[in-house]
Amino acid sequence: MDYIRDYSLVFIFFVLPIIFVIQPLFLNKINDFENHIDLSSLKRKKRLLYRQIKELEMEFDIGNINQKDFETSRKELKVEVSEVITKINANKI
Amino acid sequence: MNSNKKFTIMIAGVITVVIFWIGWVSSNPKDEKAMASFISVEKLLNDKMKKRTKLGGLVKDGSIIISETNYLDCSFVLKEGAAELKVKYDRSRPDLFKDGAEVIITGQYLDGTFYADELQTKCASRYEGDLRDESSYKLTEIET
Amino acid sequence: MTPIAGAVALNLAFGFSILSIICLFIFTLNEDKRLFLTGQRLSLGISFFVFLATFILWYQLIISNFDIDYVARYTSIETPFIYKISALWAGQSGSLLFWLFILSIFATITVLQNQSKHHGLMPWVIISLSIIQLFFLILTNFVTNPFMPTDADFVVANGNGLNPLLQNVTMAIHPPTLYLGYVGFSVPFAFAISALMNRDTSTLWIQSIRRWTLVAWLFLSSGIILGGWWAYQELGWGGYWAWDPVENASFMPWLTATAFLHSIIIQEKKDMLRIWNMALIILTFTLCIFGTFLTRSGVMSSVHSFTASSLGPIFLIFVFLILIVSFSLMYLRRSELRSEKRMESFTSRESGFLFNNLVFVVMCFAVFWGTLFPVISETIRGTKITVGPPFFNQINVPIGLILLALTGVGPLLAWRNTSKQSLIKNFTFPILSGLIAAIIFLFIGFKGSVVISFSLSVFVLATISTEFKRGISARTKKFKESIFKALFEMVSKNRSRYGGYIVHVGIVFMFVGFTGHAFDKEKEFSLTKGQSDHVAGYEFTLLKLSETERPNHYAWISDIRVTDNKGEYVTNLYPEKRIYFHKNPDVNRRQPHSELDIYSTLNKDIYSIFSAVDNENGVAFIKIMVNPLVRWVWIGGYILVIGTMIALWPRKD
Repeated sequence: MDYIRDYSLVFIFFVLPIIFVIQPLFLNKINDFENHIDLSSLKRKKRLLYRQIKELEMEFDIGNINQKDFETSRKELKVEVSEVITKINANKI
Repeated sequence: MNSNKKFTIMIAGVITVVIFWIGWVSSNPKDEKAMASFISVEKLLNDKMKKRTKLGGLVKDGSIIISETNYLDCSFVLKEGAAELKVKYDRSRPDLFKDGAEVIITGQYLDGTFYADELQTKCASRYEGDLRDESSYKLTEIET
Repeated sequence: MTPIAGAVALNLAFGFSILSIICLFIFTLNEDKRLFLTGQRLSLGISFFVFLATFILWYQLIISNFDIDYVARYTSIETPFIYKISALWAGQSGSLLFWLFILSIFATITVLQNQSKHHGLMPWVIISLSIIQLFFLILTNFVTNPFMPTDADFVVANGNGLNPLLQNVTMAIHPPTLYLGYVGFSVPFAFAISALMNRDTSTLWIQSIRRWTLVAWLFLSSGIILGGWWAYQELGWGGYWAWDPVENASFMPWLTATAFLHSIIIQEKKDMLRIWNMALIILTFTLCIFGTFLTRSGVMSSVHSFTASSLGPIFLIFVFLILIVSFSLMYLRRSELRSEKRMESFTSRESGFLFNNLVFVVMCFAVFWGTLFPVISETIRGTKITVGPPFFNQINVPIGLILLALTGVGPLLAWRNTSKQSLIKNFTFPILSGLIAAIIFLFIGFKGSVVISFSLSVFVLATISTEFKRGISARTKKFKESIFKALFEMVSKNRSRYGGYIVHVGIVFMFVGFTGHAFDKEKEFSLTKGQSDHVAGYEFTLLKLSETERPNHYAWISDIRVTDNKGEYVTNLYPEKRIYFHKNPDVNRRQPHSELDIYSTLNKDIYSIFSAVDNENGVAFIKIMVNPLVRWVWIGGYILVIGTMIALWPRKD
């Protein structure tokens, strides 16, 4: 009975991984790698941008950035955010 | 581009200053203990080097003599390959210092004796090629 | 049977790593997604087999299977369980497997975490990680295999066992902590290479690796501090840093990593310093590999070193390959790396960070120069000239003080340009505090770099409190919050920034601790029962000398009473002289060891060492060191860790 145990261990630890690895090669060819627009990373980007805007406002309140720079940077960030939101809404449809 | 040039000049300036600073300290260390030539015992004996030197080797079995009057004072023979050198050391000895220990000493050579003011024994971790180990395994159980 | 399975697992991991690299590389050429999936799974497979091999080796260590050379060398039947576990990283081949093990954990996390994001970057990230895994797999498969069977004609009854000097908890966790740091920088490095390969040097790769970098930095910092703590507590030479090549090997990547950590803030906010950031992470990772190499080869002679092994040249080749390939890539992508943004003023936050990078790199070079001086001097002059702590201190103390000053100056600078009014408004209080402190210290009688160090510490603490005050008052004005609520909200909403300031406080405390060195005093003397001697205003009286036998050692215990110069009682110290393996018939296998006793206050440490005992005459040879302010180093270390954890604290969204 020992060799049943040995063979099953060999199967689990050595044969299964090889199957796991080869499996994707048998799918149909997929070429949509780069075009895959993914919703979750867009949402993450949106959150990140909002956080950056808030941090910018804080820096301005403290006095680390002058009025003109603050307004320029904030505008840039807001433009970026609206682009991302547009993409998100387009994707949802 | 003007401001860019300003910064490039500043960086270049700092680097130049630093290189001179390091070079200067390397040639004129404030403390004479800062540098030592790490050479072989054979070379030391041949050249009779008076500069501050660092030597490595093994403590010759049975050569450790501790002064009767001052426990801290000791002498021993440093063995590196075939070369042997009499050493005097008067600070507290590290725990691993014993017959056959691998040591690194720093100090000065004068008239046949090496006066060491630093003595280090190799770290206790067992690593490949440990000169103290001839056999790697114990053949009998340790008595407990 | 299982040891063979371990070796086979390592073989399979090796094969998978080659396949993974080839598979993903072909994918980058023909875009067939199936190849990406397979390549990704191959990468997970590498990790799987490495985990298997590691657990098998651990199992062999636990069951004390002395048929395996590694188990026989580093454990014995009596070795306590926890040290059988830590024996995995006690020796060369095991620790390389352990490096690989940690790398595989990180690679697995990276792959799984990014399954739905960063598709563009991932192929080259995985390729890079697989190449690093491949290197360590080559080492553990063909050069120094942990599963090597015992080379003996007889059955080995018991192994060598772990040296008692290494049997304490700190020594068990110091290497893994350092390794988590070293290995941790592989991931940011892999992302950097991927960004270069993909010609995407925007902030995407930076945002992906910010947390990784901080975690790796935390482990590296902790590992270094733990090493110093262990040296101080156990080794008995009274210090915690000796500028030993192996210590330096961990310090150099820390310097470039700290610069990197700061510098990526600028790239995220202003898209500047791209070239610096690329160069810094490449340098950091290279220094991590170099650090592992320095510990494992016999190039430098230090108390840590292993004597010459074939590992040295192989590591060196790998280091050169990393540098050549990475910097060539940087050169090829130089147009993408150049930023249109320009630095405008010397008194801007951007230039502050630029200068910060410069100082860190300079210090790294200085340490590198000192560490490799013997090799350089041997190549040029024919003699190996070693340099000791006085050399390193002479060069690095000024640089360190400049860094300390920068820590204070940086946060008070504004973006792009700090107006004159802002300069005056922000710097008046800190500079005044620093100057007043300087005057006071000079009055007390301190001189030179001690005064500078203490005054700068006051200066930096003043700037940090100014920063907290500015943030709080901005919130109380805008949101009408109470001071405490404002403080809490402010830190909570800006964890990196304020966590970072807390880390700076920790660094300042450590500098205070370092400065205490200038006042160290020591003395060696002998005492018989009832005798006393004096050091640094304290009187030490030997009350009693006793002996006892414990399970694995014999001990002489001294009872020393300490009183101060007014005669007031301070404490009792009980340093011991121990002999491990005291019953071993082979006298050379008996291991003497001094167990220190340290009386520690904020003000100073009284450090006692029982050097030797003259049993017949009842004489104890004692060494006393009075080390001021050492505690501040450890307190600073704790604060550093707390600050980093605040910075790392995950957000709910």
